[in-house]
Amino acid sequence: MYHCKQSIALAFSLWLTVMAPVHAQTSPAAPAALTQASQPVPDTAPPPSVPLAATPVSSASSGTPAVVLAPQVVVPTPPAVVPTPPVVVLTQPGLVRADSLNGADTAWMLMATALVLLMTLPGIALFYGGMVRRKSVLNVMASVLATCAIVSLLWFAVGYSIAFTPGSSALGPYVGGTGRLWFAGLDYIKDAQQVAVSHIAPNIPESVYAMFQLTFAIITAALVVGAFVERMRFSATLIFMSLWTLLVYAPIAHWVWEPSGWLARLGTLDFAGGSVVHINAGMAGLVCAYALGPRRGYGREAFSPFNLGLTMAGTGLLWVGWFGFNAGSAVAADGRAGLAMTVTHIAAAAGALSWMVAEWVTRGRPSLLGLCSGVVAGLVAITPAAGYVQPSAAVVFGMVAGVACYWGATGLKRLLRADDSLDVFGVHGVGGIVGSLLTGVFASKSLAGVDGSVLTQLIGAGAVMLYSLLMTALVLWITSLCVSLRVSEADEIEGLDITQHAERLGT
Amino acid sequence: MLANEKIAIAAHLHVLLRRKTGRVTDTEWMVSNREYALEIVRFAREKATQDGHADLGIMANRLADIMALTAPAQAAPAPRAAQAKAAPEPGFNLFTASRSFGDSESAQAPRYVAGLR
Repeated sequence: MYHCKQSIALAFSLWLTVMAPVHAQTSPAAPAALTQASQPVPDTAPPPSVPLAATPVSSASSGTPAVVLAPQVVVPTPPAVVPTPPVVVLTQPGLVRADSLNGADTAWMLMATALVLLMTLPGIALFYGGMVRRKSVLNVMASVLATCAIVSLLWFAVGYSIAFTPGSSALGPYVGGTGRLWFAGLDYIKDAQQVAVSHIAPNIPESVYAMFQLTFAIITAALVVGAFVERMRFSATLIFMSLWTLLVYAPIAHWVWEPSGWLARLGTLDFAGGSVVHINAGMAGLVCAYALGPRRGYGREAFSPFNLGLTMAGTGLLWVGWFGFNAGSAVAADGRAGLAMTVTHIAAAAGALSWMVAEWVTRGRPSLLGLCSGVVAGLVAITPAAGYVQPSAAVVFGMVAGVACYWGATGLKRLLRADDSLDVFGVHGVGGIVGSLLTGVFASKSLAGVDGSVLTQLIGAGAVMLYSLLMTALVLWITSLCVSLRVSEADEIEGLDITQHAERLGT
Repeated sequence: MLANEKIAIAAHLHVLLRRKTGRVTDTEWMVSNREYALEIVRFAREKATQDGHADLGIMANRLADIMALTAPAQAAPAPRAAQAKAAPEPGFNLFTASRSFGDSESAQAPRYVAGLR
């Protein structure tokens, strides 16, 4: 028994020894040594505040030798002898000492990156693949997969640099610089123990941050696929996605998330991509639906979904992956990330039930597709607010988004008269708008650092909608100069699986 | 007429349409939704005339006959109220609760026409 206790004590002391430095790093403070731009540091530190020190004093009145702890005022030390660590703030990506990174944050961001990629592959592929007709399921999956691949290379080559580095003085608020083209400078120098970090996330390697943002670019483009399924030529899809990522997504990401972006400076709050990802994708989807026109037989024939079981599986992956999407956007393994995860889950649940009730009341049946759609609606709506609102507000986000997106995918869809095939605008566009505006209502100063403003949020959402509308139309027009956007009538009837890929689903 | 006979004819027509015109149809929906069946019969007859597919026209006529598409009054289902009287009320459950919320025309609207949701 004694040996057992001794072993436990030894293990505990070892654990303390090992964990102490880890705990010491958990604060995402600025790295100690930065080789890039730094703020001027005063030579002398300000007078320290008066701390309370616990020192043993004997109790003279009782005469007992008992020792108690009492506060004692410490005389301020002269400023000149207090060593002050340099206060350094990065304004652009740069090299820092490797030991200045936070291991816990880095590990979480690696995990979050994988989760967000899981949302697209296979999340979106299954979610969308299950909703189209049997003859075009493989085309949808191929489109999502090819989009992932092509956006990845373009992000590496150009996208990351123009989105997440400060631009030149004149264009700075609108588009980033060229310093990180081809991921130049994303170094890890083992001998010198230096690693590149982004000025936006100085606590993790820049390679991790660039990869995390890459997965956002991928899923945003993949979401647009849902608007033009079963009729867009595969080659046109590739060209469109390439141009759209560089000309539409990357600049908007710069506006909102790079500190020099004009919407960031304006104070628009978008924690994880309500406007950058969802409003943007929804608007682009709507433009695609108008530009390509409806599928043959739209409005007259029943377009039975291939397998809503796949859609359910995709929804599950999206829900789980969204924890990486939202909680990962805290760029740290901290309290904000935990809160983001909590509100994400609550909003998804509220969205599912809200859509279900709306559908039950109006249609008389709660459908599985409705539940899946409600989950996504709630997740979309909480995205811009995930790190800024309390859990109770998440219920409101989910409830409002469930009903609003149900209307967006039914009533509004009929009003718009566009064959937005899988309701990209109805769910992501409407959900993103609802979430952005509610962020202005519910954003807590204690969490966000600023009070939310509905007007500012409205400006942000409106600017993204307008830019996405115009530029998506332009990109489609440019694409149409290269190849025809639509497949032929015969190919559409035959199905895109066989005509675009020479493949067919098995029996 | 037995339901499986309707499905057999609809499936035959589905195969013919797929082979002759490339059009993919929903067999089960064809026998359960009168408007959809009407549209498919119209389309099949049109293609039979245009492209000379006699067998397509024959099968379209058989479906029209079996579904009584030319005599809508006979084919109309019994009113809901009559059905409700014929069957004992199941008591309170989610189904009756949904009807109290107005389970009416929208529930009977063609599914997956002009929208998935």
